Amino acid sequence: MMKTRKALLGILFLILWGLTFMPNTALAHGEKALEPFIRMRTIQWYDVMWSKDKLNVNDEVVITGKFHVAEDWPRGVPKPDATYLNVSSPGPVFVRTERYLNGQASVSSAALKLGGDYDFKIVLKARLPGRYHLHPFFNLHDAGAVMGPGHWFEVVGDPAAFTNQVKTLDGNVIDMETYGLANGIGWHAFWFALGAAWLLWWVRRPLFIPRYKMLQSGQEKWLITSLDRKIATVILLGVPLFVLGANAMTDRQYPNAIPLQAGMDQIEPAPSAVNGGLIQIKVQRTEYRVPARSLTIVAQIYNASDQPVQVGEFATANVRFINPSVGQPAPSDAEVVARQGLSVDSADPIQPRETRTLRITATDVLWRNEWLDGLIRDADSRLGGLLFLYDATGKRHIASISTAVIPKFD
Amino acid sequence: MTTNALEIPTKPYTGEKARLSRAYDYLILVLALFLFIGAFHLHVALTVGDWDFWVDWKDRQWWPLVTPLMMITFPAAVQAVLWSNFRLPMGATLCISCLLIGSWIARIFAYHLWNYFPINEVLPATMLPSALVLDVILMLSNSLIITSIFGGIAFALLFYPSNWPIFGMFHAPVEYGGAQLTIADLFGFQYIRAGTPEYLRLIERGTLRTYGQYATPQSAFCSALLCTLMYPLWWYIGKAFATTRFVKNI
Repeated sequence: MMKTRKALLGILFLILWGLTFMPNTALAHGEKALEPFIRMRTIQWYDVMWSKDKLNVNDEVVITGKFHVAEDWPRGVPKPDATYLNVSSPGPVFVRTERYLNGQASVSSAALKLGGDYDFKIVLKARLPGRYHLHPFFNLHDAGAVMGPGHWFEVVGDPAAFTNQVKTLDGNVIDMETYGLANGIGWHAFWFALGAAWLLWWVRRPLFIPRYKMLQSGQEKWLITSLDRKIATVILLGVPLFVLGANAMTDRQYPNAIPLQAGMDQIEPAPSAVNGGLIQIKVQRTEYRVPARSLTIVAQIYNASDQPVQVGEFATANVRFINPSVGQPAPSDAEVVARQGLSVDSADPIQPRETRTLRITATDVLWRNEWLDGLIRDADSRLGGLLFLYDATGKRHIASISTAVIPKFD
Repeated sequence: MTTNALEIPTKPYTGEKARLSRAYDYLILVLALFLFIGAFHLHVALTVGDWDFWVDWKDRQWWPLVTPLMMITFPAAVQAVLWSNFRLPMGATLCISCLLIGSWIARIFAYHLWNYFPINEVLPATMLPSALVLDVILMLSNSLIITSIFGGIAFALLFYPSNWPIFGMFHAPVEYGGAQLTIADLFGFQYIRAGTPEYLRLIERGTLRTYGQYATPQSAFCSALLCTLMYPLWWYIGKAFATTRFVKNI
């Protein structure tokens, strides 16, 4: 009996030890945490690519991509008046050296326009060796982080070799890794030494019980000596004078100092890449069959282009459902893709000037794994996404769709 | 002969009593050190938060308003205990020193070693000059009202000039991405913070700028006014939560 108890205690100890000291590596950034209707109907990412994924310290990687700001922006989510194109990473293992929206350099936040199309480019410089999972993503004010597609990067090399030099408008070249550090530590050490001296001045003499007793017996005058008062007077006059003097010297040293910048970038949407007018789609009904993890969209599609088109892909919340019967660029291995996940009830291309009603079915366990099927229990049971149609020449037409979803529990 | 609170020595203890009393002093001091490092650091992290964490949050409008207002709290409460009962004018310096110890531990271990931020991006602000002045004003005046008014004002007004020698150099201008930024802004752009998007720190609002670009003094005086009110509030909180009944029985 004792042996069993000891064994159980031993196992319990090992479990606790393991949980405490052997945590698993975090492999995600909460990309599924946001409610599905926000991920599907706010920022609709596509064509996200990386220039390389194996880097040395100081090497740069360029992340490019596009996104469409959904027209059917959820009513419960604040409009994108303040957004920030960010990169999800485990701390600054890379530094962001450049960022562009629609070709315009951008370092601040920006407002996005509903229905707008944007392309982006982010340049990252490897800072610390390791293997990291990065996503471009949008911080939406008061809504949260809407993740773009993620990718693994491997950085090798010596972290001490990392350099990040910047030239100020005064002409000084500074090292961002160490700039102001010695000065800051020096000032903290100086004030800390002064504070410690003041504390020691009092702590060196008997403290609590004797002082309390003496105070209660009316012997207060022995507790604060004339020397104490002199020192206090010196502090009262000296510290503010010193502070103001140091402040004035700093002003003289940095005469061109400016306040923190609080402006926002103004980025105009690009010419329409989505809902360009050549393909017009009206969604008539959408059902989600829960047991089959299958979404069926019944849509009336009008082809105003001069070429026959076919539905090749449906993408929502970074999940791509591919129609294998339509020729199109192959998705990369890094993406969340259902390679056989999309089917259409009519295999014939939609002819120019033809209007046809199609049943488009996206089926895959990814609906469950990516936590998208939860939208049927949302207060906003609507779905959004991008439909990609291709003609025989490989030209792509993109339509952003939005529809209510009816669950089926059969 | 019984021992009671009225049996009061006419001079400090000597011999064994002095030794025991001193051991008690050290016991309390060590406990106070850890208590204030933890509690005050947590208080500041929850109330001042990003303004103290990041160099690019230390703006001229809200930082000098919020920081002294939230940092005068524990010093006032601890001064109420140490001064009223022991005539020890070190409550504010003790609290702020403990806060800085906690802040530096967090910046080095949590921000730098764990999350890879360069320490210069996460330098904490100091309030030790303000705390020293607050302590000596209380000591020299022995008055709650005078300390509230003049100590509270000094505590707030000294904050920005005390920290400008540390952070002024981060306000040198840089041309980057077609815009003028401070070096501090550049830290925010370059060193990726997934959880603290840049728009959250776009906090300079309103029309203080129209007063000849003197936003900081106005924020500092506003903070000074509020500190004169915050100080007595936390003084009485300190009084209410402190007791000397155990000391009386010794």
